[in-house]
Amino acid sequence: MKTGQKQHDAQKKFYLWLAVAAVIHFFVIFASVFFQIWGTDHRLKPKIVSVTLVSLHGSMGSEQAISSPALVQEPQPITPIAPKIVEERPPASKPAPKLATKPATKQIQLNQALARIQQRVDKQTPSTKPSSITTLNSALARIQQKISTSGKPAVAGSVTVADNRTGAGKGYGAGVTSEPYKAAVASIIQQNWEFSKTLLKNSEGMAVYVRINILANGTISQIIFDRKAISEYLNNSVKKAIEKSSPLPILPKEQGGRDVWIGFVFSPEGLAK
Amino acid sequence: MFESQLGIFGLISDAGPVVLFVLSVLLSFSIVSWAIIAFKFGYIHKSLKESRLFLDYFFEVYNAEKVFTATEKYKQGSLPKVFRAGYIEYRAIDNHADSRQVKARIVRAVKREANAENKRLSTFVSFLATVGNTAPFIGLFGTVWGIMTSFHNIGLTQSASLAAVAPGISEALIATAAGLAAAIPAVMGYNYFVQQISIIERDIEEFSPEFVAALLNEA
Repeated sequence: MKTGQKQHDAQKKFYLWLAVAAVIHFFVIFASVFFQIWGTDHRLKPKIVSVTLVSLHGSMGSEQAISSPALVQEPQPITPIAPKIVEERPPASKPAPKLATKPATKQIQLNQALARIQQRVDKQTPSTKPSSITTLNSALARIQQKISTSGKPAVAGSVTVADNRTGAGKGYGAGVTSEPYKAAVASIIQQNWEFSKTLLKNSEGMAVYVRINILANGTISQIIFDRKAISEYLNNSVKKAIEKSSPLPILPKEQGGRDVWIGFVFSPEGLAK
Repeated sequence: MFESQLGIFGLISDAGPVVLFVLSVLLSFSIVSWAIIAFKFGYIHKSLKESRLFLDYFFEVYNAEKVFTATEKYKQGSLPKVFRAGYIEYRAIDNHADSRQVKARIVRAVKREANAENKRLSTFVSFLATVGNTAPFIGLFGTVWGIMTSFHNIGLTQSASLAAVAPGISEALIATAAGLAAAIPAVMGYNYFVQQISIIERDIEEFSPEFVAALLNEA
């Protein structure tokens, strides 16, 4: 009886230790999870600088570089004008100290020189100021015009046709590609897109914004990533799909033999027009 | 459940059912191993301590009656248990005239108790050896399975980029890490307990004849 009681006590002790070990294990696991969450919350996020390399060639390149992606870069032409005005002033003011050092006997010459300087200054100030204002106004007008003409990329679908414009060169108006053509292009790229969502650990909010330049004969001449996803796998799969889709069907006749830019948004959920 | 930002736990949450099963087995192994380590450490430590105190008292007094009374204080010690078994057998003998028979009975009782004590000491310790030997292999199985699945996915996506290969492999390697985490303390605990148990066994072997002699002298 006593031996049985002792064994029972030993068993009870062992089960107690088992419970303690289980509790400690789960505590350690939850503590690790907590510290990892805490660590990710308190980690300083590095600034992400997105750089897109765009190769420019032909008239299309200049149009492309100015029109769609970089509206922020538009005020650049304004800045060089301001220093010009500043630079022109010193030559006008520099002769003044030189003249002041000359002897007072040549008063007539001095007066003449001063009159000439005065005239020059009078001429320059009214002429430069309006020119800078007009340049500024014209630049702003150009920006506003471009904002109004450029369409916003649609993000609703998984791969969405985001934007399109004809490659008509700088200063030309943007044409719109026909919807059936865009649908056909999206469908071809969709078919060539080999992508498995299961390989992505976190697909939420992941999207690739890409523009392609299609020549009149349907060849894809250029692929520009406006925004890349964190996953290189997704980026590569998009690039491969587009490269595989070339050549696309010949552009519709209403394009007038000009090349066209079409934008897409690829997301892990799939490809949709 | 977990986002991919959560490192190891994110990978575990994305793991396949086989890897998850392997991880849960290893977790249970680890829990039981630590429970055994804690339980056995207390048991063996107490046994060694009480045996030492009992031996000191035994050689100081060298009187079976007094020593038996003192054993009440040392219920966890291995040597006091053996002595008690011999004394109880000695008291159970009615006829003390035949000294050879009395000695044989006492020796038998002491041996039986020594064996029982050895069994008690080594209970569960073999499980530590099992965990130490098998846990790395179980973890390795999970890793092999995970890598197999990962390569299958690579084949389906036809992409061998690092982004496609690395997550699957790192997810699979967690199983090996878990196997090692379960095995290392188990092996360490096993080696420690085997050494301590062998010390107690040697003590029992050495002092059992002393106990028998003390009981026979009492007669």
